[in-house]
Amino acid sequence: MNKHLNDGQLRAALDQELDGSVMDHLENCPTCRRQQAQIKAETQQATSGLSFLGSQAGQSGPDAKTALIHFHQYNESRKEISMFRKLFTSSTLRVGLAIVVILAVIFSFPQARAFADQVLNLFRVQQVVVVPVDFTGIQMLTGNDTLGKQVSDLIASSVTTQQNPGAPVPATNAAQASQLAGFTVRVPQGMTPSRLSVENAAAFTLKVDVAKAQALLDESGRSDLVLPTSINGADVSVNIPASVSVAYGTCPDPAAQDTGIGLNSGGSAGRRYPDCVILAEIPTPTVSAPGDLNIAQLAQIGLEFTGMTSDQAAAFTQTVDWTSTLVIPLPKNAATYDQVTVDGVTGTLIQRPADDAPQYVLLWVKNGIIYAISSLGTDSQQAIQMANSLP
Amino acid sequence: MDEIISQERSIQAMKARKAVAVDSRTGSTESSLSSKTFEDLFLEHWSAIYRLLVSMIGDPAEAEDLALETFLRLYRHPPKTGEGTNSGGWLYRVATNLALHSIRSAKHREHYEMSAGKGALEDAPETRPPQILETEEDHRMTRLVLAKMNPHRAQMLVLRYSGMPYKDIAKALNLSPASVGPLLLRAEREFEKVYLALIEEEK
Repeated sequence: MNKHLNDGQLRAALDQELDGSVMDHLENCPTCRRQQAQIKAETQQATSGLSFLGSQAGQSGPDAKTALIHFHQYNESRKEISMFRKLFTSSTLRVGLAIVVILAVIFSFPQARAFADQVLNLFRVQQVVVVPVDFTGIQMLTGNDTLGKQVSDLIASSVTTQQNPGAPVPATNAAQASQLAGFTVRVPQGMTPSRLSVENAAAFTLKVDVAKAQALLDESGRSDLVLPTSINGADVSVNIPASVSVAYGTCPDPAAQDTGIGLNSGGSAGRRYPDCVILAEIPTPTVSAPGDLNIAQLAQIGLEFTGMTSDQAAAFTQTVDWTSTLVIPLPKNAATYDQVTVDGVTGTLIQRPADDAPQYVLLWVKNGIIYAISSLGTDSQQAIQMANSLP
Repeated sequence: MDEIISQERSIQAMKARKAVAVDSRTGSTESSLSSKTFEDLFLEHWSAIYRLLVSMIGDPAEAEDLALETFLRLYRHPPKTGEGTNSGGWLYRVATNLALHSIRSAKHREHYEMSAGKGALEDAPETRPPQILETEEDHRMTRLVLAKMNPHRAQMLVLRYSGMPYKDIAKALNLSPASVGPLLLRAEREFEKVYLALIEEEK
C-alpha cells in the first residue's frame, strides 16, 4: 500500500483499530507518522479530559443482583406513579388542568344538535374533586405505536395555538409578579422565596374530530365506548391565564427540562431537593364551548375509559357539577387523599407516602384562583400552615 | 459529520426495515424479551452501564436512577429486530443519551456549581488535597464541554473513551466501522474547540 492514510485512518491507528497492511504502511511512512503526530497533539485536550471516563475503578455501586431488585421496585413504582407525579410540577399541573377541563367539555356534548347557533357555555373551576381510578388498562397501552401516532395526529390536526406561554419570566417580588401575571399574587407571610417566576398566558382552540377520536378509542380496545357523531366539528376554545410559581428552598430550575420534582428521577429528586416547596397560583382556566351541554353523559365515557365500570362512572357523574368542578383522576394505590380546611375553604390534600419518594400536593380554589402547594416529603402540615398564612 | 451520520443511519435503517419486514412475514415485527433474557442482560451489563453513568454524571444517586431508567426502557420497549442482536450497544446508546440529556438540562446549574468549585478550590479546606479538587474541576469542565457539543459527537466521545472498540461503537450508533475513525476525530476537534471557548469565557 503506497497511498498515504487519511486523517480518519490515522486517528483510528492511534487506537490500533486498523488492518495490518495499513499499519505496515504507517510504520514505514514518515509523512503519515508526522501527520499522525500532529493529530495526536491537536486532540490532546480531548484525550486527557475524557480519559477519566475509562478509569472507573472504585465506582462499583450496587451489585447487579441488588440492582435487579431495585429495578423491579423501580418498575412497579413507575407503573403506579408515572401519571400521579405529573401533578407535582406547575407546568404539568397547568397542562393537566387544561386536559381535564377539555376532556370534561369534549365528553359533554349532547347528541343531535346544531352547533352554529348555540350560545357558548363557559366553564370555570370553582372546586376540585379527586376520583380514584385504576390506570392499569391505560398503562398497558404504553408502547402502542399506532395509538401514539393517532394521538399525535389528533392533537396536530385538532389543536390550534393562539397564544404560546414561552419560557417562565423571573420576578423579584410578589408585587412585580402580580403586575406581570395580572392578578394579585399571595405569598405566605414570614417566608422568603428562593425564586418567583411567572408563566405567561396560553390559549388554543380545538376542533372536535369524532372519527379520529373514535378510532383512538377503538385502537385502545375500547370500541364499546361510542362517541356521539353530533359533536363532530365543534369548536372548543381554551384560555389558560398567566400563572405564578413561588419556590422555597432548593428547587429545580423551571427553565430546564426534566428537572421537575418527581419527574423521571425516581428517588433522586427527593435527595437533590429535600427542602423544596412550590406554591403555584393560577386564575381558573376558562373553556368556551357550544351550549346546552350534557356533561355527565360524556364525562361518563371518559371515566369508563380510565378504568371505571359503567355503574361506577354513572354514579360518580351524578355527584359532580361538571361546569365548575376540576376532576383529578388519581391512580388507585398510588396515593391517598383527604379533604382539609385551608385558607378558609375546603381543599384537597393528596399524599404519596412511598418510602423512596414521598410527595404531597395541596389543592384548593378561592376567589377564582387555583392554588397548589407541592413538595417532596411527608410534612404536609407545612403546606397547610403556608396556606393558612396567606394574606 | 451530521450528514455522514445521517447517511449511515439511513442505510442502517433500511437494513433494519428489511429485517423487520422478514419478521413481519412470520407475524412478528417487534422483538420482545422474556424475563430470563432480560435478567441475563441486566446482570451482564448493569455494572458497566452504572460505572459509565457515574463517570458521566458524577452523582452516584442520579447515575443509579439513570441506569434503572435505561434498563426500564429495555424492559418495556426492547429494540426491534435488527437492533436486538446488539443489546449491549443499544443499552450504551440509551444510557449515554439519557446522561447527556441530564447534563444538558442541568448545565446552567452546573455552570454555577463550577464557578463555585473554583471558589472552593481557592479556599480549599486542608482536609481535601488540592489535586483532588483540581481533578473534580477537570471532570466538571469536561461534562460542561460535552453538554455544549453536538449530541452525536458527544455520544461518540463518551462511547470511545469509556473503552468501547470501534466495531461496537459502529453497532451501537448504526455506523460502518470504517467511519468511526473520521467521526471520532471530528468529535475530538469539536471538543477542543468548545473547551478553548469555555476557557476564554471563564477568563
